[in-house]
Amino acid sequence: MMSDGRHTLSSFMLSTQLNYMAEENILVPNCVCLLKRQVTNMLKDGRRVVIILEIQVLKPAEEVGGKIGDPTPYSDGKYSPTFQYVSSQIIFFLLVPLTVNRNLNRDFMKKVPSALPDTPGGGSKVVPIASLNPYQSKWTIRARVTNKSSIRTWSNARGEGKLFSMEMVDESGEIRVTGFNQEVDKFFSLIEVGKVYYVSRGSLKIANKQYTSVKNDYEMTLNGESTVIPCEDSCDVPMVQCDFVSIGDLENREKDAIVDVIGVCRSVDEVTKLTTKSNREVSKRTLSLMDMSGKLVNVTLWGEEAEKFDGSGQPIVAIKGAKLSDYGGRSLSASFSSTMMINPDIPEAYKLRGWFDKEGHALEGQSLTEVRGGSGNYMENWKTLADVKSEHLGHGDKADYYSCIATIVFLRKENCLYQACPSQDCNKKVIDQQNGMFRCEKCDKEFPNFKYRLILSANIADYGDNQWVTCFQESAEAILGQNAAYLGQLKDSNESAFDEIFQHANFNTFVFRNRVKLETYNDESRIKATVMDVKPVDHREYSKRLIMNIRKLGAK
Amino acid sequence: MAGILDVPKPRINCSMLSRFINRAVCFVGRVEKVHPSGKMFTVVDGESKTATVELNEPLEEELSGVVEVIGMVSNKGDIMASTYNTLREDRGVPFDLELYNEALKVIHDFPQHYPFQVAASG
Repeated sequence: MMSDGRHTLSSFMLSTQLNYMAEENILVPNCVCLLKRQVTNMLKDGRRVVIILEIQVLKPAEEVGGKIGDPTPYSDGKYSPTFQYVSSQIIFFLLVPLTVNRNLNRDFMKKVPSALPDTPGGGSKVVPIASLNPYQSKWTIRARVTNKSSIRTWSNARGEGKLFSMEMVDESGEIRVTGFNQEVDKFFSLIEVGKVYYVSRGSLKIANKQYTSVKNDYEMTLNGESTVIPCEDSCDVPMVQCDFVSIGDLENREKDAIVDVIGVCRSVDEVTKLTTKSNREVSKRTLSLMDMSGKLVNVTLWGEEAEKFDGSGQPIVAIKGAKLSDYGGRSLSASFSSTMMINPDIPEAYKLRGWFDKEGHALEGQSLTEVRGGSGNYMENWKTLADVKSEHLGHGDKADYYSCIATIVFLRKENCLYQACPSQDCNKKVIDQQNGMFRCEKCDKEFPNFKYRLILSANIADYGDNQWVTCFQESAEAILGQNAAYLGQLKDSNESAFDEIFQHANFNTFVFRNRVKLETYNDESRIKATVMDVKPVDHREYSKRLIMNIRKLGAK
Repeated sequence: MAGILDVPKPRINCSMLSRFINRAVCFVGRVEKVHPSGKMFTVVDGESKTATVELNEPLEEELSGVVEVIGMVSNKGDIMASTYNTLREDRGVPFDLELYNEALKVIHDFPQHYPFQVAASG
């Protein structure tokens, strides 16, 4: 029985290792002691028992000379749950001899955990996630769920089962937690992402780093003895633990690495649907992320995340556990185990916002993801026509794509139109049967008509060099400002009007997205350049890029 | 007026006014306030600094938006305008004054590449 001068409590027990203190009469009635470390267990009947782990005698009993104060027994009902988080250094007066518990203590400890109620904190002290290891089993952590997977089932030769996994974070670190079979039933619906829980008595094992980017040597599995209890007081548990990699650094990482990134969403494409090999339809959306390294990277979102994503206002997007791939050089994909946060309430986000508003927005940024086939992403690979030749673009195995600003200096109006198959998806040149019918070899059909299509040969130039390019239907129509059908009509009926269109189109400047490839015809190799896309010059973007390039040159 | 047309007119902003006193300049800025007399107005440059423009004759119509003023810088740092013109912003592309300011800085940081001289003919 101990007293603090005001109340007495007889539910104190010495932990086994301190038994000697009672045996050797160090702890004697009426001595004043400082309780340095203890564990408070709560019994099912509501009573509390304090197990003393470390105690120091401040004043021996002889010097104290009797009872101090007039303490009255303390009734347990008055205790508040947060009591045990108060300073663990409590001074007590020993009133009656402490029972020496040898095995008693051990039994006690065994009994108490099984009588563990569903009240927060009952059982053991809250420990930091960083201290969890397989060699201790009696711990409780208080952490926030940052990510919860869906239930996945498997069925193999050994049987079948189900599992779910989640990631939890507290002030000290993070850890991956998995629950199988019965634990799925017990805990899956109880756990909500973003909420804080007390978790105790999970089993720890070495983490399988292949499946997770969570920074912890261990990972936890919930078992039959594990408990998960919601925690109300959660304000000081952090929302997320991220170890952000600068986008510029992604080039140095291995493909398939799992990384955390944060950046400004500079642009976002429309959501598209594609069909997987298993004939499932899945939504997909690509966005472009830029950070203070000045580099951009494409991030692909899938499913509901892709559909719901709103990139307006160039938000800050943070992704934890994104998968790095070497598609297009370097690109990121948000997998089912990634967590995406938009405008998260973390310091890195504010830093990025400030940087972007001040200088980042004017930066062109260099994308690590080379988009193929001109999907409208003009943010990369700007070249002058002289660069294209000096860098031998197109000489490799694969075609090269580049963007440039150039002026049309010549348009070949002879043979720019051909008669094509009128079928919807067929553009093959038809053969004039001379009897009013036109034959398409590909469709193996004859038609009474045809549709005009453009193949325009042009020479474009900039201050340094020029380039012969071929423009097909869409880009040719954009350059000439007329559609193929109208042009065909004009050619047959009004030649001067036809010529005037070409005169008018000459000496216009555009942004060209071109594809170059070395082609070999009969021992002769030539670079063929095709215009994939033509756009009017955005002078603001162009100016910004020029200023940036000038500054870069000036800094050298 | 004729005199100013033959002379190079470096583009400047407010922070450069003091360096170009008694010299012909070209100043681009957004009209802030027009003096009731119509003979004076203030302009704001890409760095959000203000300068005063004085005219020979009072304005005949309301002036607003981005203007390009050609004139001499007075001892006080005001611009004595010889001529001005308004940059139309209603054709879809707004004039980015901050970007213009960045370009200005480039011109002045690299005078060896952007010389302000009358090109010698012949």
